[in-house]
This record gives sequence, C-alpha cells and structure tokens, in this order.
Amino acid sequence: MIRARNLNHNLPGFNLRDISLDLNKGDYLTLLGPSGAGKSILLETLMGLITPDSGTIHINNLDATQLPPEQRGIAYLPQDLALFPHLSVRQNILFGAPDRKNMSAATMTWLNELLQLLNLEQLIDRRSVLNLSGGERQRVALARALLPKPKILFLDEPLSALDAFTKRQLQVKLREINRLLGVTILHVTHDREEAFMLGERIAVMIEGQIEQIGTRDELYYRPETLAAARFLLNQNIFRLEVADRDANNNLQLTGELPLTYPPDAQFNKGQKVIAGIRGEEVIIIRPDRSVPVWLQENRFMATVVDIYLKGGSHAVLTRMTDYPIDIEVEIPNCAFRDMNVNCGDQLDLCLKKQALWLLSEPEDQEISTC
Amino acid sequence: MVSKRDRLFHLLLWLPLVGLLLYFLSLLGALTPFFAAETFFSTLTSPSVQSAIRISLLTATISTLLAMAIAVPVAYALSRFNFFGKRLIDTVIDIPMLLTPVALGTLLLMLFNTDFGLWLERMGFSVTYTINGVILAQFTVIVAIAIRLLKSSFDDISPRYEQVARTLGCSATRSFIRVTLPMARNGIMAALVLTWARAIAEFGATVTLAGTAKGKTATLPTSIYLAMASADLEQAVVLIVILIVLAFAVLLATRLLATGARP
Repeated sequence: MIRARNLNHNLPGFNLRDISLDLNKGDYLTLLGPSGAGKSILLETLMGLITPDSGTIHINNLDATQLPPEQRGIAYLPQDLALFPHLSVRQNILFGAPDRKNMSAATMTWLNELLQLLNLEQLIDRRSVLNLSGGERQRVALARALLPKPKILFLDEPLSALDAFTKRQLQVKLREINRLLGVTILHVTHDREEAFMLGERIAVMIEGQIEQIGTRDELYYRPETLAAARFLLNQNIFRLEVADRDANNNLQLTGELPLTYPPDAQFNKGQKVIAGIRGEEVIIIRPDRSVPVWLQENRFMATVVDIYLKGGSHAVLTRMTDYPIDIEVEIPNCAFRDMNVNCGDQLDLCLKKQALWLLSEPEDQEISTC
Repeated sequence: MVSKRDRLFHLLLWLPLVGLLLYFLSLLGALTPFFAAETFFSTLTSPSVQSAIRISLLTATISTLLAMAIAVPVAYALSRFNFFGKRLIDTVIDIPMLLTPVALGTLLLMLFNTDFGLWLERMGFSVTYTINGVILAQFTVIVAIAIRLLKSSFDDISPRYEQVARTLGCSATRSFIRVTLPMARNGIMAALVLTWARAIAEFGATVTLAGTAKGKTATLPTSIYLAMASADLEQAVVLIVILIVLAFAVLLATRLLATGARP
C-alpha cells in the first residue's frame, strides 16, 4: 500500500535518515522508538504534511511524493486528537463526509455501524466535545478518522494519555478495526509492550533511522543492531570474537565468556561479534533433574545478587562465578515460587545456544554489558 | 489575620486603585457644569454633529473592514509560514503602531504628493481633504493593530487541527475556512471591535491628511477639536458624551466576547 524509499529530511533537532519502509495491505505495523527518534516526523512525511528533502513515497503503486495530504487517503489520529472544539460530537465525526449536510442512506448506515463498534451511541448528540472523558474523546476521534472509510490509518501515540484500563479497551478496539474493517494501520508508540501487543510487524526507529523492521519474534529474539537490542531491553549482551568452528560447524566464541553458537555462514574466524540472550531464555538447571543433551553447552555457575518483581515474572540478577559478567534471568512467578530462589544461592545456568543472537560488532561503538 | 506589615501592603494596593477610579470619575464629572439638558438634544440633532456621527461611523466601519480584509491573510501567513525575511517584515509591519499618527498623516500627505500619488489623484482617487483620506488615515493607523491581534489568535490555534482536516479530505483553503476561521472567531470579533474603536478615535493622521471640513471630512474627534478651537463648549460636550457612550459599548462588547466560550 505504502512504499517509502530512501526518505531524508533535515529539521532543526530532528531528522530522517535514509528511511525505507513498506506497509502492506492489512498490516498492523507499530513504529517503536524513544521520544525524539523522529517517529512523528516520519508519519507526517508519509501523510504529506512535510515534504522530504529526498526520497520517494508510493501509495498503491502511484508516486505520491508530491501529493497533498487530502489526496493520499490516509486517516490520522494524532496524540492530542485535535477534536474540533467549535463543533458538536456529531459534526466532528461527520467532518470528513462529503454528504454530511444531506446524508445518503449508505453514509447513515456506516455512521451507525461505527457508533456501535466504538460504543458512541450515547455520545453522538452531545453538543460539545470539550467535556468528554479521555477515552470518549479517543473514540470520537477514531470514529471521525474512520468515517471517510480510509484504507490506511496512522496513529500517533493516541493512547499515551489514558489510564491503563481504558488504554487496554482501546487497544482491543484498534485490533478489531484492523481485523474486521481491514484497515491497514501504522501505529507510532514509545511503549514496548504496546508495540508488541498490537503490531504484527514492528519497526524500531532510533535517532532518525529505522534500525530494524520485522515480525514480533524477529524483533524479540533476533535484534539486528545493537541499538535495537538495547532499546528492546536485552540485558545480557557480550562482546566476543569468533575463535573457531567445531566438528559440527558450531561457532566457538571467546572473549568476556566462552560460548557456542549454532552454525552460521555469515561469521568468520577472527571476526568481532556481539552476542546476547533475553533474560527469559536463560535456563536454570535444577540439580535434581537430568540434563538433556541440548542443554549441555554454554553452562555457567552464577550467584544470585538481587531479585526484582516485574509483574508476571521475577528478574533474578546473578553474577557468574568464573567470569566478571552479570546475567539477568527472568523467571515466571509460578516457576520462581517453585524453585525458591534467594539472594546468595548458587545457580547452574544454561545460555541455550538456539536462543542466542549474534551481530557483527559495529566499528567505533562502545558497548557496556551492565 | 492581616499582620501590621501586610496592612501597609494592602493599603498600598487599594489606595492607587481607589485614587485612579476617583480621578477618572472626576474627569467624567468635569462635563456636568457644561452639560445642559435643554440644549443637548438640539445640539445632537444639529447638521454638523449629525454629519460628524455619520462620517465617523461610516469611515470607521469601512476602514475596519478594509484593515481586517488585509490583516486576516497577513496575520495567518505570519503565524503559519516561515520564510526568508519574516522577522524584518514583521518589524516593518509594526512601525505604524509605534509612530505618532501625526507623523503617519504627514507621510501620507508626502506620498500623495509624489508622481504616483498625483497619478492616483488624476485617476479619480483623491485623498487629501476628502473622505477617502479619512478612511485611508484610519486604515493606516489600525491595520498593524489588527494584524497583531489576529496573529496572536492564529498562534493560539495548533496547526494540528488543520492537519487533521487535511487528512479528512479538506484542501488547505477548505481547512482554513472550516476549522481555523471558526476557531479564531472570538479573536477576530475582538480584533474587529478594538480596531473599530481605534478608528473611531483616530485624530492625528486624519486631521493631517484629510483636514476637518464640516460635513465633508470632520469626524467626531476632529469636530471636538474644531468645537474647542471656536470655543463652542456645548457642542464639544455633546461630541464627548457620544464618544464616551461608544467607548462603553465597545468595552462591554469585548468583555462579553472575551468571556465567551473559547477553545
């Protein structure tokens, strides 16, 4: 639907650097990044509110780089919603309907369907949008955006000001809109949980460029750049070097700690690499149970230094006995209670080789593993 | 409880307020010895006062509408767009606001003495000592004020509203008409009232460019000057009362507009 290629734009304080992005029909793509990464600028560029310095935007295979926003067919829900304060709820919702003064039966039916979908039947006759609650305002703004039946909907952190309960209800609605109405969605957020919950694909944007774009699993388990890995809260990151290949073609890595990595042709002997593993992929081997073959590599003894509760799981911070390395292990609450882990305990850890990710080390970049 | 030191503080707050109020009321009261009810209405209906009222209302209304017609697009452009030399333009536009109106009137006289001015006059647009001159003098004084007031109204409206309107199918023009203009309604009304009031009160530039010919170019303020110059206090009093009534009406209107629903 949207194909952006090599977009560059320089603004004081913000810039877009060589951005290429595809948004396919029916996609729910979340654009995740810290504030100031240029996410909103990218949205505004794709919408035609900003003209890029260079690069092209195609919408439905037509060159739309110079097309004004009203001809791009992209609906937009900004963070502040921008409900028109001089109009009633009904006038706001019908703003984009060409036949709003003399509605056709089709528009009427569609309006009623939307009101039902977004539970707005009670609110449609309110004379002002100024005294609606936060969640009501979001729903009115969503209805206004959807009324012209857009094929594409851009969301710019529309849920960030809501309480957790209302936020969740609207997140469910957004997925419904994507699934039931077939609206292609590009959703900007700085909230990792929201990005993974809603997005079938996720693009991580940092400092004006897209670091990685892929499915949830690719982003979660296979970060492609160090910046993406860090932003996605990979706590266990090591700087290593490819020492050799073993008989099974596994890579033998040395450096801060010795690791075995499954066969991978893109890494060569002597190459500097960065390896990592998510805390929830680190396995604690229980002394009273037999260890399967696939858990016999990458085994380390470590001492529990601290324990944090993270809602549904516990984060156990450990220090390796033989290496000056801290490893964060994330354990679901039920398993944590079952294992009875306490500070000072010795744990037998396995950094399962299939769960490791590996990058070639970028030049001139410092990494810290803390 | 108010401490002793604070009592002095409160006194220092209230005393100037009461004093100023008394001073202004005594200014109004100064009219009373010269106010004669029996001659008030006959003076009010005299041809010269009637024509001064008519000319003032007519010229102030026309100059305000002209000023607004120019100020709305200028203020919007200054508020929304960044362009080369914007700051310089912004400063140049402010100059008439700080210049004394007599100087502005003199500059206008000089302009209409150039070849361009004389050509305009030959084409039928004469300003010196005509009603056109009254309108032009008022326009020159008020247009910058209108731009300032409107620009701050437009500045208060986030461009986001127009952007959303664009994504809902409006062109830039349509989104200005359907969103920005109605949202700036109160600001525009306030600018209308205030610039109209300033135009009604205009004296210096008007008298310099258009003079004060009874029944032709004499407005309410220039007529007061004329009445005083010929020691016609009765007429001066009537003209002042009219201006005071107008001032009250204008202030009341702006207050009501300012307290009206604002986004």
